[in-house]
Amino acid sequence: MVLRRGVVCPFCGCLCDDLEVEVEDGRIVSTKNACPVSRSKFLSHAEDRARPMVGGREVSVEEAIEEAARILREADFPLIYGLSSTESDAQRMAVRLAELTGASLDNTSSTCHGPTVLAAQECGAVKCTLGEVKNRADLIVFWGCNPAEAHIRHPIRYSITPAGMYRQGKKERFVVHVDVRETRTSKMVNQFVKVQMGRDYELLSALRAAVRGYEVKEAAGVPGEVIKGLAERMKGCRFGIIFFGMGLTMSRGKNLNIDAALRLVRDLNEHTKFLIMPMRGHFNVSGANEVLTWLTGYPFALNFSRGYPVYNPGEFSAVDLLSREECDAALILASDPAAHFPAAAVRHLASIPTVVIDPKVSLTSKLARVVIPSAIAGIECEGTAYRMDGVPLRLKRIVDSPYLPDREILERIIERVGG
Amino acid sequence: MEVLLNTGRTVDQGVSMERGKTSQEYFEKVAVAFLHPEDAKELGVGEGQAVRLTTEFGSVVLRCSLGNTERGSVFVPMGPWANALTSALTEGTGMPSLKGLRAKIEAVPGGKPTTLEELLRSWRGRSGSA
Repeated sequence: MVLRRGVVCPFCGCLCDDLEVEVEDGRIVSTKNACPVSRSKFLSHAEDRARPMVGGREVSVEEAIEEAARILREADFPLIYGLSSTESDAQRMAVRLAELTGASLDNTSSTCHGPTVLAAQECGAVKCTLGEVKNRADLIVFWGCNPAEAHIRHPIRYSITPAGMYRQGKKERFVVHVDVRETRTSKMVNQFVKVQMGRDYELLSALRAAVRGYEVKEAAGVPGEVIKGLAERMKGCRFGIIFFGMGLTMSRGKNLNIDAALRLVRDLNEHTKFLIMPMRGHFNVSGANEVLTWLTGYPFALNFSRGYPVYNPGEFSAVDLLSREECDAALILASDPAAHFPAAAVRHLASIPTVVIDPKVSLTSKLARVVIPSAIAGIECEGTAYRMDGVPLRLKRIVDSPYLPDREILERIIERVGG
Repeated sequence: MEVLLNTGRTVDQGVSMERGKTSQEYFEKVAVAFLHPEDAKELGVGEGQAVRLTTEFGSVVLRCSLGNTERGSVFVPMGPWANALTSALTEGTGMPSLKGLRAKIEAVPGGKPTTLEELLRSWRGRSGSA
């Protein structure tokens, strides 16, 4: 029995780095400090593994790689998508492959915090690390997110109950949850504010008005006195932060909701220290944005068909390219768009030659022409991942694997494409 | 009954996804529509019974579960069943409209939730590929 300490969890953007994992005879047998989803990921890592396939027939990995390269070589307008559940060297290789093949390149942020990126490019964002939140924040606002179900250890490690340097436990923090419905997160906070679905922009704008001293009445179903009280609490705290999620990015308004939230935080900094942070989902979706930005200048939704990167969300984002039926081939890396894209986009994905690189059987792999199984980053191979606050952490290899890491598979495809 | 459709993550969705998206557990935890008990009563459905959700983008049959939502809205865990109902329109952002869609919900007496195989067939339908 081998006990591995200080293991980084490769599930969500929290990248909890205090896990302990027991390995016996090359198999993970138990975990400590892991949330239920993380535990499931570690203990189920050997289950439901993908096999190398071409056209529904099992083949060698080399044969699958050869066919993947042929598809990309022959495509006129390929799409490379995913990247967020793998490590940053693989993301780097995906950029290289996109450049070589003149592909469109997008990562899963286009369907999670892409609108956050768009808004931050317009007006900037006041940011910090999770360590600063843990040590200093006395007001935490969760808006349109549900960490109790999606970022399960966030409240105990960073935001509600941790013993920080200057803030100790829940009694020295005030926690607010703004959402369209009461969830498990609502039960952990001091105040729940129910906003009507699709009207977050209105409430954020009313809060901005209240912060500036204007009289506000009811907005988005929230009484004027509640808005005024929240505005005063925000202005009066020592160190406040808004954590926000898909409730803002996916609902009506999208990037405009985030724009309003970023500007609210900017206004609050005339009164106190206030910050904002997106709750990033996939464990290295932040890394996908970072790596694409430092290699191309753009974080997602770009295209190389002119020989240089062109950025245009709405045109080169995966859902748009697929639902408009523009791309004629796709390589999907470390994500499962068939499970998480609208059906109109999935139907086109099913109609074109698609290559999937994934450790597990995914719904996209069920539709793909080529499937290449890979090692699980953070369990079966090492690498770097970026936490939701942009801090890079080193993922460990916990067990040996017969599968190639994503980066090596991409390198082999690049060799065959002609890189 | 007209409702607003909300989609998102749940612990059960995350745990079962890591066990495998083709697993029975994933089907049981994700092919679900969470209704307010009063809405369910008005529809005449109980826990575990089948309901059909329809938007202008698609239609699926799901298992009804009570609670965990507001009156007049339905919550479906993120996944292929939810996305059979969502819009691919991104309004120039890249982000499809996955929350707050208008939907119609109705009871399906004796019905069964749409299976993963049925969804896969519907995606392949146009081309017959894969």
